[in-house]
Amino acid sequence: MSAASAFSVEAQAVSKWYGSVVAVNDVSFGVEPGVTGILGPNGAGKTTLLNLMCGLVRPSSGAVRVLGEEVEGNTQLYRRLGVMPEHDALYSFMTGREFVRMAARLQDVRDESAVDRAIEAANLVDAQDRQTGTYSRGMRQRIRLAATLVHDPQVLLLDEPLNGTDPRQRVEFAGLVARLSAEGKTILISSHILEEVESLADRILLVVSGKLAASGNFHAIREKLDERPFKVRVAASKQREMASALVGLDCVLSVTLEGDGVETLTSNLAEFQRSVPQVAQRIGSRLYRVEPLDDSLESVFSYVVNQ
Amino acid sequence: MTAALFSLALRQAFTRRKLALLAILALLPLGFAAFQRTIDPSGGADGMLNGVFDTLMLSITLPLTVMTLATGAFGNEIEDRTLSLLTTKPVPRAAIVLAKIAATVAVAGPLAAAVAALITIMAHDGGAAQGAAVGAAGALIAVVTYASLFTWAGLVTTRALAFGLIYVLLWEGLLVSILEGLRYLSVRGYTLGALAGLDGAAFSAFSPDAIELPAALIGAAAATLLFFLLALRRLVRMDVP
Repeated sequence: MSAASAFSVEAQAVSKWYGSVVAVNDVSFGVEPGVTGILGPNGAGKTTLLNLMCGLVRPSSGAVRVLGEEVEGNTQLYRRLGVMPEHDALYSFMTGREFVRMAARLQDVRDESAVDRAIEAANLVDAQDRQTGTYSRGMRQRIRLAATLVHDPQVLLLDEPLNGTDPRQRVEFAGLVARLSAEGKTILISSHILEEVESLADRILLVVSGKLAASGNFHAIREKLDERPFKVRVAASKQREMASALVGLDCVLSVTLEGDGVETLTSNLAEFQRSVPQVAQRIGSRLYRVEPLDDSLESVFSYVVNQ
Repeated sequence: MTAALFSLALRQAFTRRKLALLAILALLPLGFAAFQRTIDPSGGADGMLNGVFDTLMLSITLPLTVMTLATGAFGNEIEDRTLSLLTTKPVPRAAIVLAKIAATVAVAGPLAAAVAALITIMAHDGGAAQGAAVGAAGALIAVVTYASLFTWAGLVTTRALAFGLIYVLLWEGLLVSILEGLRYLSVRGYTLGALAGLDGAAFSAFSPDAIELPAALIGAAAATLLFFLLALRRLVRMDVP
């Protein structure tokens, strides 16, 4: 790490475009040791941003520094950098152990116990001698993680590492990440799943349409997300009565009759969901459906971006 | 580190399908040579060297053998998205390119050399031991040069096989035969020049059209180096998928 910067990973006005398509647009940030999540909807530019950080992609403009060093053309930096790319690509003719051992050899790590440790950390001891071509998606992710950890890197860049893993593996992964973080490592994890990042990261970089929409403490940003109004459609047998009753609730901001339902804007989704059945019972209406209309991650992100 | 890269590249080359194709490509000229010797037992060496060694092996089966291996060396890594597993390691890019070329030469080289030596021996009715060695050396020169060329092609285009076929048939097969000066820019021209220059007696069939030995050796070395450097430049500058 350079004396001038406390950041392990730093981007300065980085942009990347492919022809007329802008994948990353003038992004600047600094990442300190600990766990940082890169959060954004599919196609937001998370993978391009991670690929810029690990040198798989060259910036069209701006610069990326990892541990105080330029990434571009700096192959020796990979001794301190562990990269787990997005695609779960493996050499299917290798066993899991051979794959991790190859990663070790390419890192000049001769100690076979490093291979053992990495496979143990990924919890794949039992399957290590099977060909990776026979692995499930979750196992493929874990053996790739083992290969990423085998040289004990100081900075880890993990692109969607939990894809294909089951709940138990996610818990184990969270424990591993917490341990690595406690050792002072810098871990960047990309994901398009809000809850996934919430369980792992203290800080986030929120990426939307190639731009950095927000960055900082996860919980502060999450609180802001929870405050946003939600649009919900309520389908009931007595629509007009339902609309009149709903408008009287404190948590309801507006009500509109739309086709076969009542579109409601609420400031508190949880309270609204509790109140609707009670309202229906009170007015003697049959309740068919309560359907959130903008619960997608994209809508959450657009709300944050527009604030 | 380099050994790990070479070992990986070798394992990628040794797939059942590729080996089957290589065996067919190796047996084809040998079969033709045996057939020609059977139907014309008293035929001279020149006919077999021109017909089988040059036209069939050097112009078709040898480049196809190398092309099968070399275009896939990087092409398969790009297609399978495994190239990032190599380029995010503290390994010089030159070592990655070298390992790929070396693996192609290690697989195709002995095969092509053996086929070339056997055809030379059959052409000379079991004699020409030195000619056989020179024939093998000539085949190796062609394998190394083609390996560098097609490894580069596998990095710059996803249609490297089509590129290779067009190159082999159009450039090496047609244009070089028509335009004499292009022999100085042809892998086949370098190989024939080397064979005729190293053993004029055994390969007298090639002497009339062969380029000078120094030009052949320098040309082959320069082409190998040029395509190695182009592949290296590409690997350094490309966005790895």
